[in-house]
Amino acid sequence: MSRNLEVFYLPLLFLTVALFGGVRVARQVVLMPPPLFTLVLAFLLLGVLVRSGALAPERLMNPARPPLANVSGVVVLATFFAAAAQAFNVAIPESGLPRILFDVFLLVLLLNTLAASPDRLRVLRSLLVIFGSAFVLKYIVLAALSDPAGGWLKRVLQSVLEGLTLGTLTQTVYSPITGYVAFGVLTLFFAGLALLPSRSAVPDIGPGGQQDNLLPPRRPL
Amino acid sequence: MRAKHMLSRQSGQPGIIAATMRSLRESTARVLGLTIAVSYAVFVVWLYVQQPQTVAEMTGALTATVGAYQIDRQAFDDGLRFFRGDQFDAARLAFDRADPAHQDPRTQFYIAYSYYRQGWGRVYNDDVLFARALESVDRAIILADHGRVVVDDPDLQMRSGDELKAELQAGLRHDASDFNPLKLFRRRK
Repeated sequence: MSRNLEVFYLPLLFLTVALFGGVRVARQVVLMPPPLFTLVLAFLLLGVLVRSGALAPERLMNPARPPLANVSGVVVLATFFAAAAQAFNVAIPESGLPRILFDVFLLVLLLNTLAASPDRLRVLRSLLVIFGSAFVLKYIVLAALSDPAGGWLKRVLQSVLEGLTLGTLTQTVYSPITGYVAFGVLTLFFAGLALLPSRSAVPDIGPGGQQDNLLPPRRPL
Repeated sequence: MRAKHMLSRQSGQPGIIAATMRSLRESTARVLGLTIAVSYAVFVVWLYVQQPQTVAEMTGALTATVGAYQIDRQAFDDGLRFFRGDQFDAARLAFDRADPAHQDPRTQFYIAYSYYRQGWGRVYNDDVLFARALESVDRAIILADHGRVVVDDPDLQMRSGDELKAELQAGLRHDASDFNPLKLFRRRK
């Protein structure tokens, strides 16, 4: 991993995710802080990424690095944690039955992934599917159900869910721009995930063609 | 010249200087990156605490944080003139222009007072206007030093945020005393 990536790009990228992850535009702009449960999910996600090798914390912090470099590593991890909490905040509905279902579903899914300990690529693919599905459910399906004006999707869903009260499913109606912001936030978050120093990455080559001596010896997978 | 360079290379001095320069550049970059990241993080937390609704509110809150916020004096005087002439809507427009970031406790106090006077009724009060007055006076109390808002204006019967807030809360309360016929003889403050 290059120094600039660690020192500038990753922290700024993750902080941008943390900033815009709470943006909800209705009649006024609200910045929603992450609920407590998203912190638990973010912590689990951190565990999943470390277990799979998608994140190698020893490349960010180790005794061989200078203290300042270790502080930079801590900043990357801290900003990643904040961004992960806000990414879950983006993906999880804010109230009612959907929120409980999403919370339980994501918790079980992350625990399952942690137990299965797949490799980096599989974890990233799996996370893409999880966050992508959550985005579609929250910003397209639930938003259509909650829309007081109603559209063709609401009518279809109402006929499919005939007999089920929608009172527990409906959410606060936000401006469509909220969905676009959420999409941008999740895209940025995944870009950050892909850029994290992984255990399987090719060793860094310095400008003089030498291997980065700040890294500890690679461990077999 | 060439021989001298060769000599110094042999003694290893350019190598040490280059390594020192590289180390310095590395440290500078890391310190710069840390400073930027910490500043950005503080800004994000500050935004989530302040919850600004407009760019004016955001810049106003930022300048207020460093003690550089100033209201538009002319607009404030206009607002005061409208307020004293019982033109409350016009007064609030002028006060909003004077304090677009909602950071001045005195202006917010007058906005609350204008809602109070407009919403006050001999038979019943306008709950919506009273609720807005309560929001404004709460904002004024939060902004003031130690929460103490005192406005030295002889035209006002309530000169502190606490008095105004208590009056508004009493006005919003609905109980048996609402049916007391003597309430018809009360006076607007």
